[in-house]
Amino acid sequence: MVDALGIINFEDSTADIEGLGNYRPVPAISFLGRYRIIDFVLSNMTNSGMSQIQVHIKEKPRSLIEHLGTGLHYNINSKRGKLRLLYGESKVMSEVYNHDIGSFIQNMQYIEDSNKPYVIIAPSYMIYKIDYTEVLKEHIASQNDITVLYKNVDNAKTEFIGCDTLVMDKDKHITSIEKNRGKYKTRAVSMEAYVLSKRLFIELVNRAANTSALYWFKDILREVCGELKMVGYPVRGYVACINTLPSYFKANMELRCPDIASDLFVEDWPIHTMTNDSAPTRYSKDAQVCSSVVANGCVIEGKVENCVIGRNVTVKKGAVVKNCIILPGAFIGESAKLDSVIVDKSAIVHHVKKLVGTPEAPIYVKRADRI
Amino acid sequence: MRQNNNMVAMILAGGRGSRLFELTKKVAKPAVYFGGKYRIIDFPLSNCANSSVEVVGVLTQYESVLLNSYVARDHHWGLDAKDSGVFVLPPREKDETGFGEYRGTADAITQNIDFLDQMKAEYVLVLSGDHIYKMDYADMLEHHKKTGADATIAVLEVPLKEANRFGIMNTDKNDIIVEFEEKPAKPKSNLASMGIYIFEYKQLRKYLLQDEKNPDSSHDFGKDIIPNYLADGKRLTAYRFKGYWKDVGTIDSLWEANMDLINPNNELDIFDLDWKIYTEDVNAVPQFIGENADVNNALITQGCQVYGSVKNSVLFTNTVISQDAKIIDSVIMPNATVGRGAKVTRCIVADNVEIAPGAVVGNKDSENILLVAKNVSK
Repeated sequence: MVDALGIINFEDSTADIEGLGNYRPVPAISFLGRYRIIDFVLSNMTNSGMSQIQVHIKEKPRSLIEHLGTGLHYNINSKRGKLRLLYGESKVMSEVYNHDIGSFIQNMQYIEDSNKPYVIIAPSYMIYKIDYTEVLKEHIASQNDITVLYKNVDNAKTEFIGCDTLVMDKDKHITSIEKNRGKYKTRAVSMEAYVLSKRLFIELVNRAANTSALYWFKDILREVCGELKMVGYPVRGYVACINTLPSYFKANMELRCPDIASDLFVEDWPIHTMTNDSAPTRYSKDAQVCSSVVANGCVIEGKVENCVIGRNVTVKKGAVVKNCIILPGAFIGESAKLDSVIVDKSAIVHHVKKLVGTPEAPIYVKRADRI
Repeated sequence: MRQNNNMVAMILAGGRGSRLFELTKKVAKPAVYFGGKYRIIDFPLSNCANSSVEVVGVLTQYESVLLNSYVARDHHWGLDAKDSGVFVLPPREKDETGFGEYRGTADAITQNIDFLDQMKAEYVLVLSGDHIYKMDYADMLEHHKKTGADATIAVLEVPLKEANRFGIMNTDKNDIIVEFEEKPAKPKSNLASMGIYIFEYKQLRKYLLQDEKNPDSSHDFGKDIIPNYLADGKRLTAYRFKGYWKDVGTIDSLWEANMDLINPNNELDIFDLDWKIYTEDVNAVPQFIGENADVNNALITQGCQVYGSVKNSVLFTNTVISQDAKIIDSVIMPNATVGRGAKVTRCIVADNVEIAPGAVVGNKDSENILLVAKNVSK
């Protein structure tokens, strides 16, 4: 049981998932067939025993509200716990003012009202497994001001672009926070997940607002680096940062492999999501499927290779779908030939001779589009 | 205010289903797994939810711990709104009569008259917990009211030559029931009772209390209550059901009903988004079909990992089919694993069973389906 208020923060403009991001906020994007991106951070919190959780929503709240509901399906007690969906209710003058500090200030009452002495803040677009019980225990024992989760990576030249990276001394004290501009291979990438006392959190939010009207929470952290005792806490196992369409594509593809997925999907650490009550998937006599993750409710009659297939997808006989991510409810018609394509929800792909992208630049088919 | 004029459903779920052998050793028949991700009782419960029958009593008796805890989680079927609920009704100890087991289908209802009183039931819908079908009970209630019947019985047209296996309703030209015959040697009609009844509660209550006192009664709806209604000249109408209906009482029929789901034109259509079959929400990742897997004519659900060949088969939650394994014409229940190179033909493999690498079970020419309920070594 973790004595902390959970705050699921929204991502800044460095996270831009072309196409998919136009219809819903990043946390609500469908992931690996049956999940949505927010399921991972939220399951981490509830599996750690956190019962008071806030989800701050930047824009387009509908899909998140529907998906999260009251949080019962994430194991949040309906009386003792609370899943609160929060968004800035006053109109923002311009997109640049729509930042996390603004949302925290407008909803400060709900942060102050919490009886939890600590806050744990994390965005949803970083996908990994962590037990916050351990993190908080260490945070309290070490008497540091702020604990920051990070992951040591050796592909920072191509991945995690735009993410914060931590510069630490040998005791993991953070001396500075720098943006990853892809110059170096090995970096300690910040998960932008922070553990600190509620009192300090409120103080920093106010200080950020007083410093600049455009500051995000991570901006003020960068500034107080030398002043406060901040330490890094390493995340082990698989980490994906879903901040672009190619990184979304890559993470889905990687997690098809059971050996990689086993880092994230552990029996005693379930990833909760909203059930859709779909029937099992039916494979016809002509189906040819390999190396794919398939959600329930599908009817597969064609050829599917190296794909992630969402719920209630139909792949008709004669269709050939390779290296694709098909989102829930899409229909792939008889003659369609797709390679490295992301098909958004409920799109209908008919009469297409060929649609070919690459893993670095997958083709995106719009939601409910008819081709 | 509840919809449907306070029709309370009572699901009879106490039976063992002894012809399912080991599958019902620790669970009652309604809790037996079906169709990849379901249990049999999901069908009547989902039918209730989809028909806006919001209060459901489940009468359990044989090996009821799992079934009781399963159906008590009424949010799985959306029956958790303010005035709804699934109520578990096992036999209980009573002040005057002591512990009273349910002596028959009618007795199970009689012993819960206090529950029906408390729910202010106006109509009682009696259902079996072990049949696979989709039915709109609201439509049946409409029919009941329209015909002005005292009781309505859902019937299914069966081939006349098979009618001797069923309870047969002989009707007049207006579908008014004139006679009921249990498994008649020479059937006069092909209308088989589905064990689905709608009664006016007040009247039923009187009949039940009367039946309770009768020492010669077997306290059964088909054998006692319905004949008593007919003897008194009550108006009983048949409600003709068209569509898929199956009593999965044997290993062969359970296998068959599972196989029916693979057929794209099967009448049950569990893919119908307007009449979903709801079930427990398990935490399982989507199914993974491996590089060398070969899957045709199959129904596969979440949590499965398939590395081998699966032909004409149904895989339930979290089953693992290893490389070079062959699953043919079989039903593999939850958490079962089939080792490398093993071959399973015409079998039902019970949940959590392990089939060792290289093992061979079942036979393509077998007359009956083989139930594999214990681990199999090579």
